[in-house]
Amino acid sequence: MMKDSLRAMFAMMELELRRLGHDRTEIYTRAIQPILWLVVYGTVMSSIRAIPTGGIPYLDYITAGVLLQSTIFVSVFYGLTIVWERETGVLKKLLVAPVPRYATVIGKCIASGVRSIFQAVIIIPAAILLGVKFVVDPIYMLLAILLLFFISGGFAAISVIIASFMKTRERFMGIGQAIIMPLFFGSSALYPVKMMPGVLQHIATLNPLTYAVDAVRGLVISGDVSHLARDSAAIILFDVLMFAIASLVFKKVIE
Amino acid sequence: MTFAIETKGVVKIYEGGVRALDYVDLTVKAGDAFTLLGPNGAGKTTLMRILTTQLKPTSGEAHIFGLDVVRRGAEVRKVMNYVPQEMSVWTDVSGYENLLIYSKIYGIPSKVRKKTIDEALEVMGLSATAKSLVRTYSGGMIRRLEIASALLIKPKVLFLDEPTIGLDPSARKAVWEKILSFKKEYGITVFFNTHYMDEADLYSDEIAIIDRGKIVKTGTADELKHSIRVEYIHFGLKREGIGEEILDKVRALDTVSDLEVQERELTVTVENAETALVGILDVLRGEGVGIEKISTAKPSMDDVFLKYAGTVLSRGTGIKEVRQVRRIIKKG
Repeated sequence: MMKDSLRAMFAMMELELRRLGHDRTEIYTRAIQPILWLVVYGTVMSSIRAIPTGGIPYLDYITAGVLLQSTIFVSVFYGLTIVWERETGVLKKLLVAPVPRYATVIGKCIASGVRSIFQAVIIIPAAILLGVKFVVDPIYMLLAILLLFFISGGFAAISVIIASFMKTRERFMGIGQAIIMPLFFGSSALYPVKMMPGVLQHIATLNPLTYAVDAVRGLVISGDVSHLARDSAAIILFDVLMFAIASLVFKKVIE
Repeated sequence: MTFAIETKGVVKIYEGGVRALDYVDLTVKAGDAFTLLGPNGAGKTTLMRILTTQLKPTSGEAHIFGLDVVRRGAEVRKVMNYVPQEMSVWTDVSGYENLLIYSKIYGIPSKVRKKTIDEALEVMGLSATAKSLVRTYSGGMIRRLEIASALLIKPKVLFLDEPTIGLDPSARKAVWEKILSFKKEYGITVFFNTHYMDEADLYSDEIAIIDRGKIVKTGTADELKHSIRVEYIHFGLKREGIGEEILDKVRALDTVSDLEVQERELTVTVENAETALVGILDVLRGEGVGIEKISTAKPSMDDVFLKYAGTVLSRGTGIKEVRQVRRIIKKG
């Protein structure tokens, strides 16, 4: 049973890799927005020097945030494809395959991570060109990419959960935007949590993105990994929770 | 004897109270090609989705080779495969890659994977285009690829939901030839939905007519045609036109149920052409009607359908269907 599930999940990741092998246009066009954040917003804000970043240049500080923003964009909209595949027959076909249904759902979510990694890998050289200094340690970099991969699955699951209640794609598009931006601004992506108003600070501590940003920033920018265990635990908890809910509400998608 | 498919009193009522299936009882023998024939909205797809474990019936039971589709869904999914009406392949990868991903999901061992895929491509006539993106395939090729993916696991039962909807006649024929040759080779049971009369007639061992959620008649194509007790006698006339009083005399015969004149042809509807012919001929000769030729015809599936479902199905492909299929392909 477990073996069947893992096999199906790997197959879905492979499908994503093969798709990217044929057409990477979307990866390039989706890279424009995060690069603009770095080039325009990052450069302008760093000249003001108004945000306490703990001694890191501001541009370097937001690089982790921008990487994660692109990750959630990819994953939230990837979750949408499950609604799309309901309209075509792919989902029906997967549901009658000899594989547990939760494996289909989780496999779909996890596969979004493949796309997220490619997306991140494009942004990193752009950031280096802008003068961002990364920690030179391949193991730290690999860990960061692994974290991006896993957090991506959780956000794709959120998207599947919402999609289960939406009957049309158009409605979903609006909602996709409406969840991404608050998550982004309500995290430590652009400024430290301590700078936020009191209520928002509480929200930020519940925001999984805060932990992901913290972990990735520690690994690739500051080299401070003292929170890594806490951050990773938060991400795993978030994923498990979202995968469970997505598997449960998924029934609504097929009926 | 265990039937390939058996349903007992299956009822499906959707949220909002739509009664899609109304006590459906069916049995399908192993190795048969079985058609569920009915108009759009008759409940064909709902029944197939229940049999393929996607939906739960509101009440009643359904079994695939003795396995209950609700309680033993996981086992049912191991013995059957299914091609939905909508497109079920990924258009942004190649035909081969589609089968590769499906074969991994189905758990085909890596040692035989390549061979299995190549065979399925070969059987469906897709070997030459296996490396092309599915986006470049025609509608018929996409259908054959979908069927190829369903054949990867050599299912005991293959469910096909409107397998040829929106295809042109030659593509339809090609799809059917492939399905039937595979069925013959592996002895699989094929259960398909259609609203094409000719497909039901040509390709199935047994037909069930479904209308508004009820099975109204079951039998082989011949049995169904025989059961409606209709045959036609065509008289080729020497001269155009025939007097109304002569037609009334023919109508008055006990054996005649209806008649129609079109230019130089008189068509008489009877229960049995062999026994009715002599009486009609006597009347026509007695009135001096010149007859050039006589032929008889058995009823078509359309006649059968008209009798049992009370409506006529369109034979050709409507523009709505074509649009629907195009839309699905475009969306990919």
